[in-house]
Amino acid sequence: MVNFKTSGATDALRRACPELRLVTEAGVLASHGRDWTRFREPAPCAVAFPKSVQQVCELVACASAERIPLVPSGGRTGLSGGAVAAHGEVVVSFDRMRRVLDFDPIDRTVTVEAGVVTAAVQELARTRNLYYPVSFASEGSSQIGGNVATNAGGIRVLRYGLTREQVAGLKVVTGRGEVLECNRGLVKNASGYDLRHLFIGSEGTLGLVVEATLRLTDPPLPSKVMLLGVGGMDALMNVFDTLRADLALTAFEFFTDRALHYVRAGLGLPKPLDTACPLYVIAEFDCPTGAEEDRAMASFERCVQQNWLLDGVISQNDRQVAELWRYREGISESISHFPPYKNDLSVTISRVPEFLQRMDELVDEICPDFEVVWYGHIGDGNLHMNILKPGAMELSEFESRSHEISEKTYALTQSIGGSISAEHGIGLLKRPWLNRAHSAAEIEMMQGIKNVFDPAGIFNPGKLL
Amino acid sequence: MKILVGIKRVVDYNVRVRVLPDGSGVDTDGVKMSVNPFDEIALEEALRIKEAGKAEEVIVVSVGGDECQQQLRTGLAMGADRAIQVKTGESLQPLSVARAFLKIIEREQPGLVILGKQAIDDDNSQTGQMLAALWDRPQATFASKLTLSDGSATVVREVDIGLETIEIDLPAVVTVDLRLNEPRFVKLPDIMKAKRKPLDVVPLEDLDVGADSNLSVTKFAPPAQRAKGIMVEDAAQLVQELKNRGLV
Ligand SMILES: Cc1cc2nc3c(=O)[nH]c(=O)nc-3n(C[C@H](O)[C@H](O)[C@H](O)COP(=O)(O)OP(=O)(O)OC[C@H]3O[C@@H](n4cnc5c(N)ncnc54)[C@H](O)[C@@H]3O)c2cc1C
Repeated sequence: MVNFKTSGATDALRRACPELRLVTEAGVLASHGRDWTRFREPAPCAVAFPKSVQQVCELVACASAERIPLVPSGGRTGLSGGAVAAHGEVVVSFDRMRRVLDFDPIDRTVTVEAGVVTAAVQELARTRNLYYPVSFASEGSSQIGGNVATNAGGIRVLRYGLTREQVAGLKVVTGRGEVLECNRGLVKNASGYDLRHLFIGSEGTLGLVVEATLRLTDPPLPSKVMLLGVGGMDALMNVFDTLRADLALTAFEFFTDRALHYVRAGLGLPKPLDTACPLYVIAEFDCPTGAEEDRAMASFERCVQQNWLLDGVISQNDRQVAELWRYREGISESISHFPPYKNDLSVTISRVPEFLQRMDELVDEICPDFEVVWYGHIGDGNLHMNILKPGAMELSEFESRSHEISEKTYALTQSIGGSISAEHGIGLLKRPWLNRAHSAAEIEMMQGIKNVFDPAGIFNPGKLL
Repeated sequence: MKILVGIKRVVDYNVRVRVLPDGSGVDTDGVKMSVNPFDEIALEEALRIKEAGKAEEVIVVSVGGDECQQQLRTGLAMGADRAIQVKTGESLQPLSVARAFLKIIEREQPGLVILGKQAIDDDNSQTGQMLAALWDRPQATFASKLTLSDGSATVVREVDIGLETIEIDLPAVVTVDLRLNEPRFVKLPDIMKAKRKPLDVVPLEDLDVGADSNLSVTKFAPPAQRAKGIMVEDAAQLVQELKNRGLV
């Protein structure tokens, strides 16, 4: 980070953008200076709350002229430190840009400002008898701008894809102060580079997403959820294969017995199954009639005969659907106090069994003294590996030990063609290992792209690249 | 002792109900149907009583078309021993349902009948009370706690002013409230077993319950849409808006 202006940034911004709300109060600096991660202390110099695209443009123009580093900030539920301001930056919060601008029933799209919360889009879709499928435990706080910037995934990627698949248009403000209207809601647009896709997953390093046009889809069919007890790691993908062949799956998630232990303790949930199992699966599938339930039963029986499954329950109504999901959705929150060091790994589905096997051996070898909690979107080849900080260990020592583990974990992931981040992003925490996900040539090109959109390098310096 | 539990098939609690454009009913096409939530609680309570060794058999009963067999099977999978469908193509009013139940009671001689306090589709809250009167046995409605002892039951009822505790002689009708218990998940292996449990179909005509009441539904309409709110900038504008609408 060279030549950044952090002292006097607030005064410069106040002068240039008199209308802009700029807060320097300690409580707000602390709350808006970081995301869900806990490895860096928040230390921004101010938090800006623009109210309009116009104000965003003025803010960016001043920041770019004065070389003021900006940290874009959404709902601050990010898990890679992307929205952390630890070096006197100015945080740009979208909390005051929460308007729904347009709903088009013919295009089946909704256009919202970046600060609109994910759950609000879901709810809006529901009231129009449509559906916004991006869903995960933090949807009540995360914002559309943050979802776009991280290309958020979640529990229904298996059926509907990532945030990328839902974005029909983006309005962004680049570091050069231009406002780009990317793709404008079009279904088809073969007119050269689709810049929209560069901003999706850019983690706030190319520009500020100010508006997004999102596709809505048909409401899902009535569904049922099974919580299944799995015999072991080697059985997991066999169960997936079987269920996927027999049922129209909308989600396939897994977690370990240790994860179950914490989520039960954290949320006070009863034992879901009579049988204790090493692994559990949450499988959700379309179930409009009794026929699908019969197929699910047959599928279950076959897996039991193979000893892949040991036990299982199935929802009888939508309340139980929600109750069963809590066993999976509550895990992240129930271990957040440790705090955990999170790895968000992905491999192709065909290599999941091999990867699990080798990770299991690796964990035994390199961190026998740590508790590791596994869960994830296994139907997408995405595993969340959470290393829990032992109570007595200093945070800094824990982080450096975790880094040693990451080194080996990422080397293994790379060796079988996987990625060191499936959906949480590189941000601050995974930046030292970007070269485990991309070749030197790729990183150089990414840097070139960054320079085009953000020549002064004011957006999220020290993140991603 | 046998326990009889009523099971009604209704649109799932979480479904946003939509009225058909012609006002003839609500749209159930492709809509998730479930056991009425209060009936699920009733069954859970019956199963707990049986598991505690205070009853030998739990029988679930539903009055309706063949589609309600799905909900009866759910009841069997939860743990009921057998099921009875009183088969009818008509949608009956509470009085006729109570009469049909009475006939089943006469056949089965249960020591306890547990029903939901109401069905969430028509919200009538009448069947249990009517049944107790027809049967000429005690009733305890809106139960949030149920304790059985020899020949009687102590029931805590949720009433407007708080909780009321009463004691009733058995046999009796108990209708249950939300806080009585948390119904269990259905175990997958039990769904298979449920397929082999007996489900008797009794045509309504065979029960000789007489004609349905002289009440018929003429029209369904959705609740009036709430007008859209506006955001005011300050208190002065708020007062102005209220004045404009003649509210102050
Ligand atoms: C309990 C829990 C469960 C989670 N589960 C999942 C999951 O299943 N799948 C998943 O993908 N994620 C998950 N997450 C991570 C997180 O919720 C997502 O990454 C989410 O998309 C972040 O959105 P946010 O608004 O909170 O962004 P923030 O955390 O505020 O920011 C995330 C990144 O986006 C940038 N950014 C934010 N707004 C803008 C903008 N308007 N313009 C440009 N850049 C911007 C920030 O600079 C930062 O780099 C989970 C988090 C928690 C706490």
